[in-house]
Amino acid sequence: MIIIYFVKKINRILKMNLKKFIFLCGILLSFEVYGNSCEVAENSSRIAIAGGSLTEITFLLEAEDRIVAADLTSNYPMMARDLPSIGYVRALSTEGILSLSPTLILGEDDMGPPTVLEQLSKTGIDIRVIPEEHSSKGIIKKISCISKILGISNVAENIIENQINPEIDELEKLSKEIESKNINVMFILGMQSGSPLVAGKGTSADGFIKMIGANNIMSNFEGWKPVNAESIINGSPDYILISNRGLDSFGDINELYEHPSLMFTPAAENNNIIAMDGMAMLGFSSRTISSAREIGIRLMKEYED
Amino acid sequence: MKIEASLTQANPLKITKKQNLIIIGLFFLVLLSLFIGFLIGSFNSSFINFISGKASTLENNVLLQIRFPRVILAGLVGASLGISGASLQGLFRNPLADPGLIGVSAGAALGASIVIVLGSNLVPKFLLGSFLLPLSAIAGSTFVILLLYFFTKGFGYRGITYMLLVGIAVNAIASVGIGVLTYISTDSELRGLTFWTMGSFGGVTWPLLVPAVIIICSALVWIIPASRKLDLIQLGEPEAYRLGVDIKKLKYRVIFSSAAAVGASVALSGMIGFVGLVVPHLVRLIGGVSHSYLLPGSALMGAALMINADLLSRVMIQPAELPVGLITTAIGSPFFLWLIFRLKKV
Repeated sequence: MIIIYFVKKINRILKMNLKKFIFLCGILLSFEVYGNSCEVAENSSRIAIAGGSLTEITFLLEAEDRIVAADLTSNYPMMARDLPSIGYVRALSTEGILSLSPTLILGEDDMGPPTVLEQLSKTGIDIRVIPEEHSSKGIIKKISCISKILGISNVAENIIENQINPEIDELEKLSKEIESKNINVMFILGMQSGSPLVAGKGTSADGFIKMIGANNIMSNFEGWKPVNAESIINGSPDYILISNRGLDSFGDINELYEHPSLMFTPAAENNNIIAMDGMAMLGFSSRTISSAREIGIRLMKEYED
Repeated sequence: MKIEASLTQANPLKITKKQNLIIIGLFFLVLLSLFIGFLIGSFNSSFINFISGKASTLENNVLLQIRFPRVILAGLVGASLGISGASLQGLFRNPLADPGLIGVSAGAALGASIVIVLGSNLVPKFLLGSFLLPLSAIAGSTFVILLLYFFTKGFGYRGITYMLLVGIAVNAIASVGIGVLTYISTDSELRGLTFWTMGSFGGVTWPLLVPAVIIICSALVWIIPASRKLDLIQLGEPEAYRLGVDIKKLKYRVIFSSAAAVGASVALSGMIGFVGLVVPHLVRLIGGVSHSYLLPGSALMGAALMINADLLSRVMIQPAELPVGLITTAIGSPFFLWLIFRLKKV
């Protein structure tokens, strides 16, 4: 009864203002709701950030005093954890963000949900989605984009030249050596319905494995998918990478070695399962480069002596 | 209605020659499915090599430690869902009784979730995996069946839809319970919880399988001799009582054995829908309604169906895996609709 009443009421309102409604829709559609340009923001004095890598980069650029809030994936550096939280990057809430009265919202491309972004853009807050590319180049692009928006490109240029580029050079040297060794790697995000959830083509982990210079054995499907035990053994990964959160979903590292879908892989037999903080590997901030190097050094250990 | 029809035959409650043949046929179907299940998988290995002992250690390991337990678990779960569907349909005198639909599976999942989230601090881990988890799942499913017993006034006839409505409520309560547990649990405990909703046979090992084999097999052995009594109870409880059936004992026997079978299955493979509904009806369609045929027939048919559904889930989109619950539900839900449509006409 109540529902019918409301439907009738809405119907009446809509009918009365049908022309107006269509006009409004037209206006809404004609404007771009939120931009992904890297132009300097009018007012970047109060920033809300949705995406751990963006928080890391803002700290790297020493603009952290402008951050008023960050999302749950912003767990590095430690100081970022003390910031007021706006929830998970894909599940932001409009009022939660507005309560902190930000002038600028920086988000990764998975920021959402879209309805919240739409609501936020209607309040006139500048929303920027930072383009994501899963490579070393992508990381540099990200850093310079953020620095442009914040109007501090000179700081970024300095950091990229003196800190990031040398690190990338070293990583590339290492990854060329690894490429020649033809090492098979698989990335596990966690456990889903009895089977490990594994990174396929086009995922951030796929880009990360490429940065190291190894082969992703699961590149015959796209996205993250649960993979069955026999296919994993078929791919015979020499190394298995797993995020710490993913490791938790198995229990502990020993359970991982004894898990039926992993225990017959070369990786498990040679104790070559590497667990690391997920954001450090897949966030694609400057930390990703050092994580890739760290894992690359571990991969090359076998060939040293 | 069907019972009345079959009563006019010579000896309706005795297993006929045709039914015997069907059961033998189903038995060979299970053997064939087992064989195909062992044969095919995404890991390339030759079964002939394995039998002749020429296979490499890795091939042996994959077959013995990964594929065999998985196929056997699929068969066992299929058998236990099939037979508990058949015996619950008999006991409730309701053709729509299915462990999934009436909330028995959800109760088992809730029982298992409670142990996963709250029990990990209380008991050592090796106990948790092998016996406590199936036992608490069984406790959950028993509780739900007893609840249904209470709400249907001792399974007295209250209309087919009434029990389904109770089932909807029970399912909702269980999913609220699992939701609350998901909310308060840590990541490491969450592993088990996400697992219940879709169902999968991945990740099973022999040590996990053995307790389930014991529980499910003893439940099957316990329930099958009750088939004649289940036939008699179709006539109505007073009539069955006058024919010498100890109604109370029969009810407890069916309740506990189906709860045990469903609970142990859910504990290892999560909730897999519609098998308990579809299988008994298929078996009835091809051979008749007497329970001494229906119960073993449903167990065998369920096993064969499940082994093949799992085979599809393993190889259809390899190397990725399709949740087996998706396949059984895709087959079962249209069947369920058809069944409702047919019942309405009668």
